Amino acid sequence: MVTFSFLDWFWFVAFVVLMVFCGVLFFRLGRRSMADFFLAGRGLPWWLPASSVYATHSATDTPIWISGVIYQYGLRGIWYTFFSAWCAISAFASTRIFRRSLAYTQAEWQTLRFSGLGAELLRGWIAGWQVFMNMFVLGWVGIAMGKVCHFLFGWPDWVGLILFSSLCAIYVLTAGFWGVIMADFQQGVIAFAVIVIVSLWGIAAAGGPGGIAHKLESLGEGWRLNPLAFSGFTSGEFPLVWFLTMLVIAVIGGFGMGTAIDWYPEAQRIQSAKTVRDASYSIWAGSALIVIRNSLWAVAILAFFSLYPRIQSPGEYEMAWYRLGFEFLPVGLVGFFFAAIVAIHLSTISTHLNLGASYATRDLYNHYFRPKAGDKELVWVGRISTLILLLGSFVYGLMMQEITQWLIFALWIMAAGIWLPSILQVVWWRFNSWGYLSSWIANLGLSWLIVWILPEFEIIPVLPDYLQFWIMMILGGLIYIPITFLTPAEDMDRLVKYYVMSRPYGWWKPVRVEAERRGLLGNESPLKGEI
Amino acid sequence: MAWIKRKWTAEEADKWTKEDVLAFIISPLVYFLLALGGVLSLLFFWYGWVILGAAVVLLIILLWIIDPKLKALSKDYEKKQKQYLEDVEKISRWEE
Repeated sequence: MVTFSFLDWFWFVAFVVLMVFCGVLFFRLGRRSMADFFLAGRGLPWWLPASSVYATHSATDTPIWISGVIYQYGLRGIWYTFFSAWCAISAFASTRIFRRSLAYTQAEWQTLRFSGLGAELLRGWIAGWQVFMNMFVLGWVGIAMGKVCHFLFGWPDWVGLILFSSLCAIYVLTAGFWGVIMADFQQGVIAFAVIVIVSLWGIAAAGGPGGIAHKLESLGEGWRLNPLAFSGFTSGEFPLVWFLTMLVIAVIGGFGMGTAIDWYPEAQRIQSAKTVRDASYSIWAGSALIVIRNSLWAVAILAFFSLYPRIQSPGEYEMAWYRLGFEFLPVGLVGFFFAAIVAIHLSTISTHLNLGASYATRDLYNHYFRPKAGDKELVWVGRISTLILLLGSFVYGLMMQEITQWLIFALWIMAAGIWLPSILQVVWWRFNSWGYLSSWIANLGLSWLIVWILPEFEIIPVLPDYLQFWIMMILGGLIYIPITFLTPAEDMDRLVKYYVMSRPYGWWKPVRVEAERRGLLGNESPLKGEI
Repeated sequence: MAWIKRKWTAEEADKWTKEDVLAFIISPLVYFLLALGGVLSLLFFWYGWVILGAAVVLLIILLWIIDPKLKALSKDYEKKQKQYLEDVEKISRWEE
């Protein structure tokens, strides 16, 4: 438990008021149209969505899970956090294609790339999954805040979960994505400053870099200083083959759309940028900041390990970074630290509230139920959806207990069966909606079967992470590749329209030839008269 | 470096070229070096600073290569965007 002085409470209250007010301030812009409520009018310079990418992916659960992997694996654990590297290629590849499609959401993009019933089923599927997924993410991030408040003040977990997510909902409900993006910028600055201060403070408390190295060597744990200290090629708890698998997943995944669960919030930021160039730089810079932040956190957790080397319980060592702040910062700065934790928390909650609501509003309500609804009605539906997501997240949050295992599964394994199809849909003209849809359904069954159910009944052993990934990818391929070839190719008219707008890379020759034959690849507005 | 094209017409910028391929190679390398150099330089290992320096140099090269192309294709695309937005509304409507 931590005791706050008057100065601590002052910092905390002042920052919370500032954060909420900063979001609410954009109320008038948010209510203008659906494009404003969900994409801030598609006119943002690159640094605003970049700060939002960074702020969104700095959540209360992030230091918990980074503490978990670094404490367990030493500096090599940093590669668990390297999944954001998909943005390195995506910024100059799939980001460009997606921005040019002008789709509000990834679900909408499916109906631009594919056609007919398959495309509609895909849109409904992805929209429904995203509503669920955002509620789920809100739950796990929310319960992480509950744990922090329990650690700090002894509150039951549900208090931190409900209190701070509800505070955030005030400005998301009123100002939509304008509120999210403006608050994210301010929260991102506060969060980055505090991450630097607390991490450096923790490193200094452990005796500085020299002191940490010396202590680890004397404990016989010197290998923890080496980010490339693998336990063998396929053996041990962190084999080289798992590192290589993670590199492939992260880096090559950038050629596709939806290869990582972070694609979906990023897709919203990509469309909110004012130009293709701004979209590219926003994704690149936001994720580069994340990579730098992870390095800071990793060394700080190593400092914590050198101070407290024999903790066995994950629940205890997962709080490492928070403990550095609350145990070593001086009075007065502790309140500032807590305010920054709230900033970190709100920036993630706000994004997922608005993102989930965008799928519910644009892809479900507007697309399937009320295609002729006006902007005013859609903004209100957006607000109601936000509220429903908030309430649903409370239920999910109270169901989750251990964060590190959930996140390793969610970030690396859960998407294994759709990783390659998510690339194929971008790079290969013949890949159709039925192939992609079947990969989703197959993945849902395979991931639970291979990761949880079969090992539970001792039918197969618990497989190492890299094997889970490759097995699910191959088994999935045995299902969706035949389905793709057994069902017809997409309608050529739709493919040509998509090609002319988005100019995808890869195997698109038949479509390109057809577009050229129709004289659509010139400099004039290519789709005019073609709809 | 005439091998790297730095003046683009809109039509040329629309195509995927070797400048894009170079960006695909250099960009993840910058991330990798940032992660590696970041942790090692915070631990005051001299090679950490070297790796971090290499990341910065590669980043400058990356921007030098890709920025002219991004500018050209963005400028051209923004002219068409209004028309495209109307088209997208029609294309993505529910099909009976």
